[in-house]
Amino acid sequence: MNMSILKNLIQAVKGGFSEAGEAIVDSNLIRILEQDIRDDGDAINKAKRSLTNLKSTEINLKRKLDSLAQDISDYEAKTMELLDSGNEALAMETAERIAEIETDRNETKTEYDVLAKEVSDLNKLIKNRAKNLEKNKRELEKVKTVGELQKATASINKNFASTNSTGNSVKESLARVKEKQQKWKDRQQAGEWMEDESESSDLDKKLADAGLGNTSSSASSVMERLKASKKDS
Amino acid sequence: MENALNELAHSLNTTITKEGNNFDAILTDSGTIEVMCSNNTEFPIQVVMTEKQILAVTHLFKTSEIQPNKLAELNTMLLELSPLVPLSSTGMQGDNYILFGAMAISTDIKEIVHELEVQAENTIDVLEAIEPLLN
Repeated sequence: MNMSILKNLIQAVKGGFSEAGEAIVDSNLIRILEQDIRDDGDAINKAKRSLTNLKSTEINLKRKLDSLAQDISDYEAKTMELLDSGNEALAMETAERIAEIETDRNETKTEYDVLAKEVSDLNKLIKNRAKNLEKNKRELEKVKTVGELQKATASINKNFASTNSTGNSVKESLARVKEKQQKWKDRQQAGEWMEDESESSDLDKKLADAGLGNTSSSASSVMERLKASKKDS
Repeated sequence: MENALNELAHSLNTTITKEGNNFDAILTDSGTIEVMCSNNTEFPIQVVMTEKQILAVTHLFKTSEIQPNKLAELNTMLLELSPLVPLSSTGMQGDNYILFGAMAISTDIKEIVHELEVQAENTIDVLEAIEPLLN
């Protein structure tokens, strides 16, 4: 399951709706992906357990190698001293000992190298499996998204079937929703107007109280104005 | 998933947004929540969930509701509109044109509420834009 499945999903989306809009997700694909995810998880766990065992053996061998190297250098120093003091026979015996230790060290080194390679291979395997696991999880999410979208589409199609039988169209729905919005805006404007009105009448009252209000015209003031205009003419 | 859907429906039904809108959310037979926001009571939003995301899908119209010779123009228009619409994208499933939004499953209810309210508004905006191409 290494190929990307988005290409297949688009086919499922295009052809995946029955007449009634019932969801058809490829349940087989989900099963395969879920099985792959489980397999990868199991393989990773198993590899991690082996890795723990191998690693402890590797540490052990490394310690042995270090100790053998130390022994070799100790015996070498002693052999040099023996040669210096002319004790050829004991020097020879010590050199034989060094050769034995070196054989042991070479065998241990081979063992160590094999093990180190195994550890590195296991690490690689874990990395690859983990990559595959994440990829499959993402693919599964895509497949499940298709399934959920199909549920949404099924619900949409049911609604469409019931509203369409009443001759409802998107145009009419849009007109209705716009009308409602307009009414709402009108109500809001009316509210704002009321607020403005009460604010301005408050101001008029305050101005009148301060003697600055618009005094209403009276009959006498009209008479005076008319008389004045008569005089002018 | 059904529990999570139930919980979300309940939260939506008891929420009033900052703008004063409320929601009517019901579980459908198809396994979705059908959400109606009071700012748009004509175009319900279908909400579904996977392990990772919450998807909000609004049906806009069917291919058959578009003037047949205007389909290419419509498709281009919707592709161009999509990046301009806040939080929602336009798309297609079967012969349904949809507006949809995707949120991470961990999204806070406040954000979900905002997203759905905006999507309900976006629906009207998008439909107004493509109205001349309808049958």
